[in-house]
Amino acid sequence: MTSSSTGSRPRKPFARRLADAAEPWLYTAPVLVLIVAVMLVPLVLGLSYAFRDIQLLNPFSGGFVGLDHFRELSQDTAFYRALRNTLWWTGASVFLQFFFGLILALLLDKPFAGRGLAQALVFLPWAVPTFLAGLNWAWMFNPVIGPLPHWMVSLGILSAPNNILADPQLAMWGPIIANVWWGIPFFAITLLAALQAIPRDLYEAAAIDGANPLQRFTSITLPFLAPTIAITVLLRTVWIANFADLIIVMTNGGPADRTQIVASYIFTQAFKRLDFGYASAIALVLLVLLLAYSMVIVVIRQRLIEKD
Amino acid sequence: MASIEMRDIVKTYGDHPVLHGVDLSIADGEFIVLVGPSGCGKSTLLRMIAGLESISSGTMSIDGREVNDLKPKDRDIAMVFQSYALYPHMTVADNMSYSLRLRRTAKEKIAAAVAAASAKLGLDPFLARRPKALSGGQRQRVAMGRAIVRQPKAFLFDEPLSNLDARLREQMRAEIKRMHAEFGATSVYVTHDQIEAMTLASRIVAMNAGAVQQIGAPLELYDRPANLFVAGFIGSPGMNMLDGTMVSDNGTSLVRLTNGTTIALGQAVDLPEGTSVTLGIRPEHVSIRPATGGVAAAVELVEPTGLGIILHLTVHGLPFKIFTSDRALLAPGTNLTVGFPAERLHLFGPDGRRIALDAPDGSGISSLTTS
Repeated sequence: MTSSSTGSRPRKPFARRLADAAEPWLYTAPVLVLIVAVMLVPLVLGLSYAFRDIQLLNPFSGGFVGLDHFRELSQDTAFYRALRNTLWWTGASVFLQFFFGLILALLLDKPFAGRGLAQALVFLPWAVPTFLAGLNWAWMFNPVIGPLPHWMVSLGILSAPNNILADPQLAMWGPIIANVWWGIPFFAITLLAALQAIPRDLYEAAAIDGANPLQRFTSITLPFLAPTIAITVLLRTVWIANFADLIIVMTNGGPADRTQIVASYIFTQAFKRLDFGYASAIALVLLVLLLAYSMVIVVIRQRLIEKD
Repeated sequence: MASIEMRDIVKTYGDHPVLHGVDLSIADGEFIVLVGPSGCGKSTLLRMIAGLESISSGTMSIDGREVNDLKPKDRDIAMVFQSYALYPHMTVADNMSYSLRLRRTAKEKIAAAVAAASAKLGLDPFLARRPKALSGGQRQRVAMGRAIVRQPKAFLFDEPLSNLDARLREQMRAEIKRMHAEFGATSVYVTHDQIEAMTLASRIVAMNAGAVQQIGAPLELYDRPANLFVAGFIGSPGMNMLDGTMVSDNGTSLVRLTNGTTIALGQAVDLPEGTSVTLGIRPEHVSIRPATGGVAAAVELVEPTGLGIILHLTVHGLPFKIFTSDRALLAPGTNLTVGFPAERLHLFGPDGRRIALDAPDGSGISSLTTS
């Protein structure tokens, strides 16, 4: 046995040890204070509303109600409908934006005359304010002033030139189409950047190896795009799930709540019914759902990277 | 294995011509090196053989079959890229077998071909790795392996060693040469490195500004460069070039340099007196302290390379280089007498073309006088 000397090491005075331990915290203090002040305080305040009875029109409200809002929420059929609508709205929007964005990126990746101009035009919708985009599309779907219903009748898609935004079965397609139009550039830009980072040599090597265009796409393009696709789809999913602007402007959740998503339902509760407490409770649930979704994606992505 | 025939191959980008009518016949099993400075069109020509660039005019045939309009995959050739162009998402084994898998070759055959190639290239320990986990030399080997497993009609190499360090480049050069000796595959190799060209080629095609300057065996280009470009490009350190005019004296021709020095050619040359010519001599062929004749020269700079010494000196104001293995000459500031052996001189006419000098009459070292 060798005797260890650690036990007999002289101990520093307490004040000295405290100062040593506190040192890194003092260095990071400015940033920590900033983060706490601008991020955590508003977040905690907002979350606290979910457990209080806050109605702007009721001067006696403001008391602590515990989990009452959540109990109410679990019975709220409008909320469950909004949840289903959110899935439908997010899924369809993200998929179509990604699908058309990818096609656009692939087209813009090939050199052709006027490509610079085409790229600039393609990215234009991204620069349009969503409020304006929503109004514009709402007008285009309006048979009195817009051409779309008449065109759709001519194409046999509609039986009569009605406003699809007023049709409970079809209303959701209105905001989805506007959202797809508005969001394609995001995918086109990011995927085009990723495409242009792929070395051209690889395509030439594959062409010599005998790969046809489809095989080149699946064995070179897709693997190179996969990380970009994963991260953009994740980001867009969270954004779109939270993205109520177009719906508020175009349908305001109607007709009969058919286009109400969770985010627009929160907006309606807070700013139409002025029930901030209940709206905060819904927002908390949405936050938890999106956090869970993000965690799942992050874990899946980590697994894929480790497998590589 | 196959022969490759090029007839009057022209490449233009828009109105800009890049290749002005290349004629080249490559025999079955030959190792052809296309060499030239950047932008001379050598890579373009190689890519036209591969089918990666369209042919503006002229005909290209592989194994007697015109391939002008054939896609790369239908030409049955393999190419090794400068960047290696390995598929980063596939393992080494998958990289090598990709072309065979695309052709739906039987699994056992693929396994056998990959095993044979990897054994030959020493890649067995790396078969399950991705390219990013390999060193530059190993990636280079995988790129070669990918070409070998196909057993194509011809191998194309586009500056395959440029990205390697000097030691590895030397090693891979020898390996490529060994592989060619073993497989005897028709190969076309593009490089700007004249050492690679000299060591690897059965025949070198020296190119400049989109035109072939000379085609021949390596030593033929070295000993009898067809023009000033080839003379200057092949050989390191480069050939000394001296401008002068023809004069004749007693039936033999001399060249009067711009500084007045005359150098005897040791024979009569059929050129009118006063014709401006360029005289060339390789640094390793200048004789130092010749027994007879010779002219004083001042050593200005000494570059020891280990193998030998490059001396920069001036002869009556004309800069000059000598390559020698005599270490006694290492000290700068020495004055030397140097001679220009007539049988080592190259003479180029006013158009830059070589003027053939007959075998010298054995006098060895030409006399050199200063006027």
